[in-house]
Amino acid sequence: MEKKEYNISNPPEEYDAIVVGSGISGGWAAKELTEKGLKTLVLERGRDVKHGEDYKTEHMPPWEAEFRGQGNRKLFEEEYPMQLRSDVINEYNYHFFVNDKKHPYQTDEENPFLWVRGYQVGGRSLTWGRQTYRWSDLDFEANAREGIGVDWPIRYEDIEPWYEYVEEFVGISGQEEGLDHLPDSIFLPAMDLNCVEKDVREKIENNFEYRHLTIGRCAVLTEPHKGRGACHYCGPCSRGCSVGAYFSSQSSTLPAARNTGNLTLRPNSIVHSVIYDKETNRARGVRVVDRLTNESKEFYARVIFLNASTLGSTQIMLNSTSDAFPNGIANSSGVLGHYLMDHHFRVGASGRFEGYEDRYYHGNRPNGIYIPRFRNINEQTKQEDFVRGYGFQGRASRPSWGRGSGMEGFGKEFKQKLRDPGPWSFGMTAFGEILPYEDNHVKLSTDKENEWGIPQLEIHASIRENEENMREDMAETAVEMLEAAGGKEVSPYFGEYLVGEGIHEMGTARMGRDPSTSVLNGHNQTHDVPNLFVTDGACMTSAACQNPSLTYMALTARAVDYAVNELNKRNL
Amino acid sequence: MDRREAIKQLAFLSGGALSLSTVAGIMGGCTAENGGGGSFTPQTLSDAQHELVIQLSERIIPATDTPGAKAARVNQYIDHMLTNWNTEEEKDHFLEGLGKVDELSNDQFDSNFVDLGEADQITLMEELEREAQDNPKPDSNLKPFFSMMKEFTVVGYYTSEIGASEELNSNIVPGHYNACMPYSEVGRAWS
Repeated sequence: MEKKEYNISNPPEEYDAIVVGSGISGGWAAKELTEKGLKTLVLERGRDVKHGEDYKTEHMPPWEAEFRGQGNRKLFEEEYPMQLRSDVINEYNYHFFVNDKKHPYQTDEENPFLWVRGYQVGGRSLTWGRQTYRWSDLDFEANAREGIGVDWPIRYEDIEPWYEYVEEFVGISGQEEGLDHLPDSIFLPAMDLNCVEKDVREKIENNFEYRHLTIGRCAVLTEPHKGRGACHYCGPCSRGCSVGAYFSSQSSTLPAARNTGNLTLRPNSIVHSVIYDKETNRARGVRVVDRLTNESKEFYARVIFLNASTLGSTQIMLNSTSDAFPNGIANSSGVLGHYLMDHHFRVGASGRFEGYEDRYYHGNRPNGIYIPRFRNINEQTKQEDFVRGYGFQGRASRPSWGRGSGMEGFGKEFKQKLRDPGPWSFGMTAFGEILPYEDNHVKLSTDKENEWGIPQLEIHASIRENEENMREDMAETAVEMLEAAGGKEVSPYFGEYLVGEGIHEMGTARMGRDPSTSVLNGHNQTHDVPNLFVTDGACMTSAACQNPSLTYMALTARAVDYAVNELNKRNL
Repeated sequence: MDRREAIKQLAFLSGGALSLSTVAGIMGGCTAENGGGGSFTPQTLSDAQHELVIQLSERIIPATDTPGAKAARVNQYIDHMLTNWNTEEEKDHFLEGLGKVDELSNDQFDSNFVDLGEADQITLMEELEREAQDNPKPDSNLKPFFSMMKEFTVVGYYTSEIGASEELNSNIVPGHYNACMPYSEVGRAWS
């Protein structure tokens, strides 16, 4: 072990398991490992966040915010440019997103990859979109069926019991629809569709075979669940939720792990690399740089789970070099860093709906509608110019004062008009699958490091013909459905999409059956190093079009079960 | 708002790097009895520009059966944004626009805008709005003055406590969700 260059200021520490990252998958790894009795160290690169007490903006009204919710534009433009471009940060939540200036990466100027990150205890599970959908064999078999990428080493039947297992704990509200290609989860009561959404649902189902509209399936509680409170419909979840109505590591998995007495959580611990022991062909532990003191430290364990986020985990592996693995640990295949995916979006349509002027709603539903994939789901829906498909997310609503800036007039009448909500409108956006392309990839910069001495990532990614053709279709079907539903002035929108801004980055350490073309096997175990597991988005072999977090959670719980069994059999 | 709490929140929002003048400005906003003037000292607007902004904003959203822009201290919001949020280019463009209001006013009525009667002020503002509509983008990224003034007023008013919870219905912690109910039971738009 070549640790001479590191200043070890404290004695090494030994654990049964190390989990790198405390976000949505790291939280699950921590819960499962500790509940199975393993002394587990969770390393989080960012600051500590205390559940509840550190959600300082949770119900802050706009008049108490310095820029009334619009955020400190100069600060954002100078220090958060990528987070800002991704359209996710605002005055109330930006403290849960990274300062790009402090955490730089390299990407193409013309066609940048937008890397949205949350470096704190809880990671991006504090700010995620909370949409939770199962995948099906339409997704797991797609690569094999079409000869694209490599085959998934698992099928729906392998993951189904683990979907059930995590759903039971997470608490997912949604409506059963009985669709083969979008299997129902175990649901808490669904949130209601509003009157225009119900109307549109009916008209879509009457006019189009294979198309359905359902309420979004989301990890937000509609009734108390496992000690967490039900949603109070304040709306802006990304500020944090002190009653734990939405699922996060903070509200759910980390407290469960803590309750076992087996958890040690160390914030401000940036993992530099995994330590490899050639004698045993095992990962021995990890090297950490303390974010605050810059000191180096090593921690050791019998099994290591990387849950540092898709690109975070891959960055650590690429930086873990040794004689045996000169190009990164467990990278004998050479595919580590390749086949980066996301979901492409910013295409959709909106229209005005009449007939419900006397109807309104109460409460800010933190959820919208979902139109499950209806392209290439069977012979009848096969498309000529693209494979795979997309789903729509959206909602019907009545605009409030926000329309005032663009409304004609001023004075008493103007004010009176804004006292009532505007006309109902229905807007929806498609989220589509991106195929795995080898040259959508990341690598370590050879000349740029971050302030902790870790090489920066260089990220290159773009969409191709399949995605471009799909985008045309997204706009067409969005318009056709809203028109069929009776929408007025239906207009498509066709925005620019940059890879990454779906914040569903996946791949770069993919699962597969063949060690020469994949990094991980069917249990998220690296082919090369038996006690090293990767269960975040890096493991994904294809991207499907559903929001991926539920699948990360199920894969993580499944992988821990396997790993602990193997440990007990002394196979690791 | 409790003064200490306000400073803590502001410091938190701005990462602690808040200038004293900003704190003073916002704290003034918390203590001034009456909107508009009071103890508020603008940081960017001159006294004359400040008075003009107060009157323009109040004409856009006047006091009716609820207070208007002046009581909601939209002027303080605008000065704060010009000082701390807008680019230099946008700020100059806005200040220039204020100057043109008085030029126009003097051309037509031989008097500054703030000294005009209600009817003349409205006539002038209608003209400004027409001009803004006819020429929505005089430069590539700058909105016409009147559009900027209107947006400032609308955002400043409806995100104020008065605008959000007296004029409209505030729903910061609604407690429950009702997907479809008679509008008459709500009565006003949610802010």
